[in-house]
Amino acid sequence: MARRYEAVYIFDSALEEPAVTEKLEKFHALIPQSGETAVEVTHWGKRTLAYPVSGKESGYYVVTKFEAAATMLPEFERALKLDEGLLRHLVVLDEGAQMAPTPSAKDGEEDE
Amino acid sequence: MARPQKSCAICESGVRVVDFKDERLLTRFLTERGKILPSRLSGTCARHQRQLSTAIKRARQVALLPYIKGFTG
Repeated sequence: MARRYEAVYIFDSALEEPAVTEKLEKFHALIPQSGETAVEVTHWGKRTLAYPVSGKESGYYVVTKFEAAATMLPEFERALKLDEGLLRHLVVLDEGAQMAPTPSAKDGEEDE
Repeated sequence: MARPQKSCAICESGVRVVDFKDERLLTRFLTERGKILPSRLSGTCARHQRQLSTAIKRARQVALLPYIKGFTG
């Protein structure tokens, strides 16, 4: 059964956007998307890490959402671990979490 | 003696499921050292406290939040 997942990738900040996009395409080629659901990719860009990871102070963040069968994940994560440009990754179930509204934007919003 | 009821800040902000990428929200529930604030102090409801603790732990894994703040070692 396919479930919806969310993945956060932290790439080496030395990599530029085209290189990152290329790597992402390579990773997601391992997971065939069924029908109309496409991989949702959000680039956060370079950010300072809260603590150094493999000696690096900053990383290139990318968040993706995709659908996959649970049996596909071990192979997918193995590929992620082997990649040297990827400092860290996290794959979790997408539970439809939402960001808290910013205090200023809250005034204009209606409930539900 | 029962302690006075505090209202859950997350319920009030209208968030159903806490997002681990929402760094700004999560930092409000950390101590100075970066520990998770107990619901006894923050007044968070049980459901949101559970979500918060998982979210904070995930945020730490992806280096959005520090495990310890102000530690130089």
